[in-house]
Amino acid sequence: MLRKIFLPTILAILTYGFWISPDFKEISAGVAIFLFGMISLEEGFKAFSGGKLEKVLQNSTDKLYKSIGFGIITTTLMQSSSLVSVLTISFLSAGLIGLAQGIGIIFGANLGTTTGAWLIAGFGLKVKISAYAMPMLVFGVIFIFQKSKSLKGIGYILAGLGFLFLGIHYMKDGFEAFKSTIDLASFAVSGVKGLFIFTGIGIFATVVMQSSHATLVLIITALSAGHITYENALALAIGANVGTTITAIIGSMSANIEGKRLAGAHLIFNLVTGLIAIIFIHQIIASVDYISKAVAIAEDDYALKLAVFHTIFNLIGILVMVAFIPKLVAFLEKILKAEPGKRGKSIEHVKYLNDSVLSMPETALAAIIKESIHLYKNAFTIISRGLNLKKKNIVSSMDLEKVIRMPYSEKPINIDEYYKRKIKGIYGEIIDFSTKAQSSMPPVYIEELYKIKIANRDIVEAVKDTKHLQKNMIKYTASSNKYIKKEYENIKIGLAELLRNIHTISTMEKEDETILLLSKAKIHTKRYDIIANGTLDELIRNHLITNEMATSLMNDSTYAYNISKNLIAMAEILFVQRSGHIKNIDEDIHIDDEDIDMFLEKEEQK
Amino acid sequence: MKVRKFIDDIKEYLGLDEFEKIDKKRAVEILLENLQAKYEQISQELKSKHDNKELKEEMDIISLHIKKAKKILKKLNL
Repeated sequence: MLRKIFLPTILAILTYGFWISPDFKEISAGVAIFLFGMISLEEGFKAFSGGKLEKVLQNSTDKLYKSIGFGIITTTLMQSSSLVSVLTISFLSAGLIGLAQGIGIIFGANLGTTTGAWLIAGFGLKVKISAYAMPMLVFGVIFIFQKSKSLKGIGYILAGLGFLFLGIHYMKDGFEAFKSTIDLASFAVSGVKGLFIFTGIGIFATVVMQSSHATLVLIITALSAGHITYENALALAIGANVGTTITAIIGSMSANIEGKRLAGAHLIFNLVTGLIAIIFIHQIIASVDYISKAVAIAEDDYALKLAVFHTIFNLIGILVMVAFIPKLVAFLEKILKAEPGKRGKSIEHVKYLNDSVLSMPETALAAIIKESIHLYKNAFTIISRGLNLKKKNIVSSMDLEKVIRMPYSEKPINIDEYYKRKIKGIYGEIIDFSTKAQSSMPPVYIEELYKIKIANRDIVEAVKDTKHLQKNMIKYTASSNKYIKKEYENIKIGLAELLRNIHTISTMEKEDETILLLSKAKIHTKRYDIIANGTLDELIRNHLITNEMATSLMNDSTYAYNISKNLIAMAEILFVQRSGHIKNIDEDIHIDDEDIDMFLEKEEQK
Repeated sequence: MKVRKFIDDIKEYLGLDEFEKIDKKRAVEILLENLQAKYEQISQELKSKHDNKELKEEMDIISLHIKKAKKILKKLNL
């Protein structure tokens, strides 16, 4: 209801304002051009986010001070804390960074946004800024029409800056002309009442414009034209800081629980900072005066003093809150909990994929890999339970002979049901997301994505083959024929060994060990293939098993062989090729079928 | 001059294409060092447990990878 009347009300107020005052029209046009400039600037930076930005992010957020620094620098460069918050939420949703790192970036972004205030107060109001705007717009638009993505990006950035400057120029002109008709300063409210009223106006203006930057420009230009008092301008700046969290909250709506937690952290941080600024307003004003005097800012240069104020209270916010980050993380995890699925019944969905990262190839790819590993973990559970083995025993150092003697349950699990719940939905969503992500990916990423899709298919095939294997596995591991029983137990041991090795590979850092384990798994799969090594022929020839048993064993050893092949291929793509230095080496380092045959031949000759 | 060609010329002038090759070479060299250290470690262990089939198999696999790594390095040095 509120949403429905909000837009018409704003439009009606603006229309009325335009009708009664041409200066109001100029100021509003200035705000509109400024906001359009920000959209254009964001578009420009997005053109460069195809890989580089994500790589920088991953390398520069491993420590808290680095996260804060990253937030400050990116916001200074992009001149938009909203874009940085939305990007951070995307990275967090994709699992590229943790919540604490995300909070660090958001803290830094808050401080970074003060550079905007400095730019406008120190530069924007003192020179004829529109003189810079025109050439930027002309060159920007020429570049936008170019085919190259990078040139287009540069074009959007130039045009964005041009529009920002032009917007400031119109706002400045509008306020100066406005002064001769109405004196807004007569509406000034002093004292605590004024503080709260103007903080509220600051929040409202920022929520409407969805940009604290635009509000701040408006405040500084109005202040420099003498339309608002210095005290009221400070309150408006505090309000703008709180109001800006709305962008992150809107951005987090399509994100997962981690993204929502980050938006919560942003809100808490800005609220606490705002409260501190309101409570200690006199002390902060005194320190602004002291610092301004020390850096030779004129006593009546309120625009620059506002920039100092903005920096000080954001800095205080960081200093106060930084020690509470772990507590903030714990608090947010407690109040914003992931939706619990009904145990044993609900269909599992993807954890790391959300549409907000689709336009960022590197992030999208990283999210798909994380999701594929999630799919593999589910497959691991199903395969181990399908073989009636306990997962915790498989990943332990327990002797494998002992592992197979400790069943998961008395009753066999229903693999079909598990497949529908833990595999089918996630697999479908991964393929759907990959197809969407592919459309904005450069060829080198598409090649990577193709391999990951194959790895996913391998996982699904391995689960399906386990289902085929399960029935006879139950039947023959309880058989009175010791030969067939032994063969099925060997299949079980072989698969348990493989699952253990893949688990080790997935957690191991040392690449020589990873390569060794993967090659070992490949060789063992071939060596213990009973069709190839003649074991099956021998059992039949010596009448040790019946014809029915032989047929079953032949089919099931093929299933086991395929499970192994598929899981090894998956591990090579998801874990080995992406670890440490190996990712820089081509696939020639891994052993292929020809190498394995030669290896086994040599072994026989010995 | 077309922008693409201009960028390619600069890349060639600064030798930026070589970076990828250098990265790859460095990665293979590190891996080779690690593999050789592992080989040494296993051969030391085998001195006391010379009948251990598992260790022998591991040593054969490692030597296969050492051969492969050397081959890749040779190709990169051409």
